[in-house]
Amino acid sequence: MEKEQLSHRLSVKSILTNTVLIFFIRLTLGVIFVISSLDKIADPDAFTLSILNYKVIGFGLATATATILPPLELICGLGLILGIYPRSSAFLITAMLVIFTIMVISALIRGLDISCGCFSQNPDAEKIGYLKILENSGMIIMGIWLLCIRDYGVAFIRLFRQKK
Amino acid sequence: MKAQKKVLLEITVIIAAAAVFGFVYTFITNQGFFAEKDGHDTSTGSNLEMISLENAKELFDSQEALFIDSRHNFDYNRGHIHGAINIGLDSIKTAGAVLETIPKEKIFVIYCDGVECNSSIELAAELNGLNFKNIKIFFGGWQEWKKNNYPIDYQ
Repeated sequence: MEKEQLSHRLSVKSILTNTVLIFFIRLTLGVIFVISSLDKIADPDAFTLSILNYKVIGFGLATATATILPPLELICGLGLILGIYPRSSAFLITAMLVIFTIMVISALIRGLDISCGCFSQNPDAEKIGYLKILENSGMIIMGIWLLCIRDYGVAFIRLFRQKK
Repeated sequence: MKAQKKVLLEITVIIAAAAVFGFVYTFITNQGFFAEKDGHDTSTGSNLEMISLENAKELFDSQEALFIDSRHNFDYNRGHIHGAINIGLDSIKTAGAVLETIPKEKIFVIYCDGVECNSSIELAAELNGLNFKNIKIFFGGWQEWKKNNYPIDYQ
């Protein structure tokens, strides 16, 4: 019986630390964050409006957020994909996702019918809803998963270094 | 402990890099904080634009734009930009008859009290939904206009 439990634990652990699976999660989260940053970087003022729609912070803070947040998403996304500072990138991405989710929940509770501002800054694009919370929750789980492991698998940056 | 310090240092480096990237990029492209200082229009990627005090004054002087005060009627009556009409968020439905008489291409400058209020954005989004093409949000609003002693009306 103990042997069975032990082998079960080992198999769960081997799944959770499977380098291929971890690499897939890194790529998924990384690509999502890189893509979501592009529209915001292209038009930070539209992103400022998207932030203001949540009615949580004022214009100055929203402009500062719209200036720093998109590059932060891009750098963290690339960090996960390339394997540069993967743990710190995973931490920042998870923290951002938690904040985004709290913002969406708060807006839904207050009955705001606003666009998410997640991937596109078009006011008619992707309204906030329970599906968005579900999506974010899935990504938060992936982020926490990455924070709990030690081996992040392939670091593309090392491949470039080796070529030199 | 050493590993935690390393992660903390990495996080600081990433945030600093993002801040430098963001501020340099917005400086070069005249957006965000730097758009306001230079007095340029800032496109929002839709029919909406945020404009500075200088731009609002230019439109006021040219008489090309219709100024809309999105504050509550009580605040509007205590003072508003000269010539502005009052369409509060709560009165958007009753303002339908007035809006129908205005050409869709007309330039609207919408404002509320100042940078801390969002009713101008909400009204702009509502009007955008009614297919008005040229909507500008004057974010400095009533407070900035009044502070600069520009023309105002009382009702």
